[in-house]
Amino acid sequence: MAMIFRHLSRLAQAAWLSGAIVVAALGAGAARAQEAEPADSYVPGQGFNVGPVNLAGYSSLVASLPDQGRKTLSLEDLSLYASAHVGIFVNPFMEAELTGLNLLPWAKGDDGGDGGKGHGYVVLERLYDDVQLPDGFTIRFGKMLAPVGDWNQIHAAPLVLSTVRPAATYRGFSQYATGLSVLYNDPEARWPDVQVYWQPMDEFSARPDSIVDDHYRLVEGLHVSFPLGLLDKVGFSVQRTIDRLGVEQHLAGVDFRYTMGPVTLQGEGVVSSLSQPAGVQTPRSLEWSAYVAPSYAFDDRWSIYGWYEIYDGRGTASASAGQAGPASDGTAQDVLAGFAFRPQPAMVFRLEYLLNVGGPPVNPTGLFASWSVLF
Amino acid sequence: MRRRRPLLAVLIGLFLSDMARGEDILVVANPSVTLGHPLSTGDVAAIYLLRLTLWPDGNAIIPVNREISSEVRTRFTAGVLHQDNASLIVYWNEMHFKGKAPPVVQESEQALLTFIRRVPGSVGYVSGGGGVPEGVVVLARLPVAAGSGGGGP
Repeated sequence: MAMIFRHLSRLAQAAWLSGAIVVAALGAGAARAQEAEPADSYVPGQGFNVGPVNLAGYSSLVASLPDQGRKTLSLEDLSLYASAHVGIFVNPFMEAELTGLNLLPWAKGDDGGDGGKGHGYVVLERLYDDVQLPDGFTIRFGKMLAPVGDWNQIHAAPLVLSTVRPAATYRGFSQYATGLSVLYNDPEARWPDVQVYWQPMDEFSARPDSIVDDHYRLVEGLHVSFPLGLLDKVGFSVQRTIDRLGVEQHLAGVDFRYTMGPVTLQGEGVVSSLSQPAGVQTPRSLEWSAYVAPSYAFDDRWSIYGWYEIYDGRGTASASAGQAGPASDGTAQDVLAGFAFRPQPAMVFRLEYLLNVGGPPVNPTGLFASWSVLF
Repeated sequence: MRRRRPLLAVLIGLFLSDMARGEDILVVANPSVTLGHPLSTGDVAAIYLLRLTLWPDGNAIIPVNREISSEVRTRFTAGVLHQDNASLIVYWNEMHFKGKAPPVVQESEQALLTFIRRVPGSVGYVSGGGGVPEGVVVLARLPVAAGSGGGGP
């Protein structure tokens, strides 16, 4: 019974937060109520327009069947985001999500326990305002996604390649930045897109210690992206962070996506150096990881994909399952293969198998399936 | 007989000219949009690829698209944006997640023109065969072949 109440509590939080988003968005829209716009057609994945406000989101239902450990069916994401364009100075964006909600709370693990996880939690992913300047410049302040690689910036399940996320795309760096950022997007795409960002304090609305490895009290960085086509690009990232223990980290990364007819190749690699301040136990002074992912589209609906990852960083499979674990020695190597079916562009079913082929597993070997929808 | 040949040539020329203009795409906008020059094809592409988001006066650009099954959208997508619909949808979904709203969709030319007449800063396109619609301003006339379709990035 207590479990049910915990779930209801989480759902109530999500409902409350969702309601807050809608009210805030509609409030912003009321500022331009006099410009009553004719209704436009709903396009799945592109949200609902209410005046200058757009309400959208995505959901992802994931079945995880690892060879060892607990099998789960979970609502990994129920995300809602609202954006409004009221003028040059007022272009707010907000995203909140309910994540990690186990839909089979009575399921037991191989060890007979429930792992004590899977109750779901509500997080504020983004909350910022954009000031749009001429000639492609934007000033952004608030909580935003840190532009390290491409996956972190478009991490919505229906938009990314696979259900299981390569560790290189989220481990060992700050995924968020709370502070100030300047973005440049050349309208004619002659020059690279550039984003610099600076977080001078603790992350706003940070995720709890139980589900993230690190908390950062300073984050600053730069991302430069060279467009090669509509979706193709080569990007370079640098990021400097100082975590709550005082460990300073310098990261450099490269990411790419390139399409040749039905074949797409994408990947990312990051390397970080870590300081070892006195009194702080830091088992590593260098971390690195990389993945490469080919995919082949048979048509607009069916595709096959895979990735190979090599990861030499903090954490193991225990951490990926939501348990803080000590850093382990050795280099993890994972291979994943799967297929995807998109009955329409905003919806995707995936089935994939991940195999740990070396080192301590950073993701568990097993079968994974998901159903993800943009709305 | 000889006197009729020049007249026939003129008539054929006029017919072809009219056909060619019928294949053009008119880029139209709300009368609040005032530009001192016509938009180039590159400008129009930058608007629909969400790279150009402000008019010169600082007001937001609101691009309007037709439904995916429309013939004029097919020609516009291939002939002006030089893309295909599937790639564009993926692109717009990604840009939407990054905070940039994709073009608004209107299901008919009449609905599109009604939207543009009423919403300041909005811009859309119609087939050039029907003359210049009332209540909007023409920002460009883009020659696009009727057979333009498919295409890729």
